[in-house]
Amino acid sequence: MSAAAAVSVERELAAIVGEGHVGPQEFTPSQLEINGVTPAAVVSPASAEEVAAVVRLAAERKLVIAPAGGFTKQDIGGVPERVDILVRTHRLNTIEQYDPGDLTISINAGMKFVDVLSTLAEHKQWLPYDAPHLASATLGGLVATASVGPLKHAFGGLRDFCIGVQFVVADGKVVKGGGMVVKNVAGYDLMKLINGSFGSLAIITRANFKVFPMHRQTQTFLCNFNSLAEAIQFRERIFKSPLTPICMEILSPHAPEYLNDPQPPNDPDHYVPNQPVTQIPNIWQIALRAAGSDAVLARYRGELGSAVTRELDGAAEEQFWRWVTHFEYNVLERHRNAMVMYTHLTIQGVAPAIHALEKAAPDCNFIPAVLGRAATGNLVAAFVPLSVDPPSAMQYANCVSAFRAHLPPGSSAEVAHCPKEAKHHFDVWGTTPTDVTMMHAVKRAIDPQNIFNRGRFIV
Amino acid sequence: MDPSIIRQLRKIVGSEAVLDRPEELMMYEYDGGVDRSRPGAVVFPETTQHVSGIMRLASQTKTPVVPRGAGTGLSGGAIASKEAIMLAMARMNKILEIDVANQRAVVQPGVVNLEVSNAAAKFGYYYAPDPSSQKACTIGGNVAENSGGPHTLAMGVTVNHVTGLEVVLPDGRIVEFGGKSQDSCGLDLTGFFVGSEGTMGVVTKAIVKLTKLPEAVATLLAIYNSVEDAANTVVAITQSGVTPAALEMLDGWMVRCVEENVHAGYPMDAGAVLLIELEGMKEAVEEQAEAVSAVCLQAKAREVRRAKTEQERQLLWLGRKTAFGAVGRVSPAYYTQDGVIPRTKVPATLAEIERISQKYGLIIGNVFHAGDGNLHPLILFDSRDPKQMEDSHKAGNEIMECCIRFGGSITGEHGVGLEKKNFMPRLFTEDDLEVMIKLRNAYNPDSILNPQKMIPELRFCREITGPLPEAKVEPVSGMPV
Repeated sequence: MSAAAAVSVERELAAIVGEGHVGPQEFTPSQLEINGVTPAAVVSPASAEEVAAVVRLAAERKLVIAPAGGFTKQDIGGVPERVDILVRTHRLNTIEQYDPGDLTISINAGMKFVDVLSTLAEHKQWLPYDAPHLASATLGGLVATASVGPLKHAFGGLRDFCIGVQFVVADGKVVKGGGMVVKNVAGYDLMKLINGSFGSLAIITRANFKVFPMHRQTQTFLCNFNSLAEAIQFRERIFKSPLTPICMEILSPHAPEYLNDPQPPNDPDHYVPNQPVTQIPNIWQIALRAAGSDAVLARYRGELGSAVTRELDGAAEEQFWRWVTHFEYNVLERHRNAMVMYTHLTIQGVAPAIHALEKAAPDCNFIPAVLGRAATGNLVAAFVPLSVDPPSAMQYANCVSAFRAHLPPGSSAEVAHCPKEAKHHFDVWGTTPTDVTMMHAVKRAIDPQNIFNRGRFIV
Repeated sequence: MDPSIIRQLRKIVGSEAVLDRPEELMMYEYDGGVDRSRPGAVVFPETTQHVSGIMRLASQTKTPVVPRGAGTGLSGGAIASKEAIMLAMARMNKILEIDVANQRAVVQPGVVNLEVSNAAAKFGYYYAPDPSSQKACTIGGNVAENSGGPHTLAMGVTVNHVTGLEVVLPDGRIVEFGGKSQDSCGLDLTGFFVGSEGTMGVVTKAIVKLTKLPEAVATLLAIYNSVEDAANTVVAITQSGVTPAALEMLDGWMVRCVEENVHAGYPMDAGAVLLIELEGMKEAVEEQAEAVSAVCLQAKAREVRRAKTEQERQLLWLGRKTAFGAVGRVSPAYYTQDGVIPRTKVPATLAEIERISQKYGLIIGNVFHAGDGNLHPLILFDSRDPKQMEDSHKAGNEIMECCIRFGGSITGEHGVGLEKKNFMPRLFTEDDLEVMIKLRNAYNPDSILNPQKMIPELRFCREITGPLPEAKVEPVSGMPV
């Protein structure tokens, strides 16, 4: 879009949302970049109707829109073809309706997840969901990116407790699916379609959830093993036991180096262990989090026996899980050239995928560090650059293809973060077991002009 | 039906797998709901290739196709017009794999729900969604309707347990959505497909999660003198911090009806009972059973019993799960609703149902998933009495109106189908429905697959400006659900 056209669009946007809500505001243009592409105009609507008016304007002018929440996951996905209007949701930041007695809540998309949790906590309730960047991630962004954390093990993702959704489609209409009751099969399950659509189908303006009573107490059991095989064997033992932990994470030997508070970026950007040691001990860890009374926790101790190396509770436990959730960002804060991939695996695919990582990373001059859900196959695989020289774009491309090539059939793995220059050299999304033709058909059906997030998602 | 279509169907599946004589078709003119219509032909595919061939033929000849599982659906989803081919999935009934290590079962659509649990039990697993019709209903139908059941309170409904699907699209194309992994890159077309009521494609294979059997189960029967006290208990349990595996309610009339049928020890003089199940590690179950009993007693339960043996527990559940059948012994005709309300509105809604019952002088029995706020009022009527028939329709509509007014939904697990299509514009705007139609058209552009189900055509929506047209209700005798 030319500068003159951008000015004219900004004028029209101001007519919709008011003068003070157009423009980058507290951000510098580079902070608003999406994989190197700067939005021509930025707008902050305050209601679903204003979002709809913005979308109508974009549709009439054939402009490309990118929605933005807390900017915590904007670098995920491909390089956008262009961004004419960045639609920020931060003014949609209220709780629409909260019925503690019914255990349901309706939240506008720009609300920060941390604020949702504190409201729920007043009634001893919560959303059993953990997200990195808790302080800035918004509900809309989390739904759009289908982010998951360690609690996925027992509770699933947001998709599993999203009971209603409101969004604005490409023709500028406000549309809803579901409702405010916990069981509902009236109409198509638009919640599932929108969850994880990465802003490519619509702009999410509101989402409703069923919420849960908070656990009274939890305890974390850290178990160390000398090999991946032993850790996996232990996981199988848990499956066969009566234990029902709420989290079950596996951590590779290098992962604990990134379980700490944010540290300054490495310069030069290459792998340096926290403590100077000749070799990182080959310790694999399984972290189990249990919820329940003293009797339940005592049972865990009894069943786990000598496998437990350390127990965590209270503030130390909270801190551990916050670090686990924030792992990938800690890696990225330390190493600007690191790459992070998310995997989608079967249970038995976890070990082969870790083997694939352990092989592919060093071959391409990366150190592998991985943690993730040992029983749901959602691993966060970090590739930390090993040499002093920054890796070349082809090194990333080769590493991604080597890793994917060794994944078991039916798996998929997307590159969540890597230097933007490298993204031109491979497909960040990769293959998926789900029919891609049908994904495109769905996209065409509700965004025929492809105005939402063009070039960033699979569709 | 055009004889050349019948001939071509026979070519695809073999002549014995196509029915077209009126006396054969009679069996397929109804499901568990209230609508009736005789299909043009019934065809029994045995393979995905058969289904694909049939869909290609249908698509070329623009012949409507209606898939059917076991026909236990309650919203008319499997009712086919005389121009339509009914695709009966009964011969695709194989469990293809029990993959214990990955906690998955791979099944054909015609596999009966309970058979999946039975096949997995020896490995210590089961398939969690348990519709009351689980001895008969099939996984394909469960996927189409996003079926629930008593134990979905804690475990979630069908969509939370399906990770992969093989689907034949209306043009005959065979596609895969998801797989054995819990999720995958890209749009969640697996989750989106579940609950699409046969309007997007035909499921030919489903990959479902297997859940570990709990170590301990406690089943409590809380007995009340009044419905109101039981309803208030539901609210109190929900807020107590314990999530039971199941929380079911039967009112006094239903209790007597069920007890006469199964002799499970339900008290004949109760005003209402709650059937509550707690599952998990034995320590947790013991504590929760105590906590829940205390809540019940505090909320004026006159007694809380606990099933002492597995046999006692099974009998209590048999009573609950065959409740609709038990009603069939008392009344030749009844009309079941499937409304949902926020849980705090359970007491007010039951009071409203009582008022509606008195207004029309019709018995309305209540047996439902109280913990989810998913009501199943059963309106009893004599089909020989035209006034009663008319009143039962009106009473049903008033109950639906009440659910909508309380911020609820018109269906929690039975689906919209034919029966509730007219209510959709009350929950959704024209813009909402338009998006649903566009999405359906992406899969099913000519609407040959399960036409006229679930979503009213927009032209029709626009006509609904005044009161709703009455739902088409015809009597049907007791089909257990």
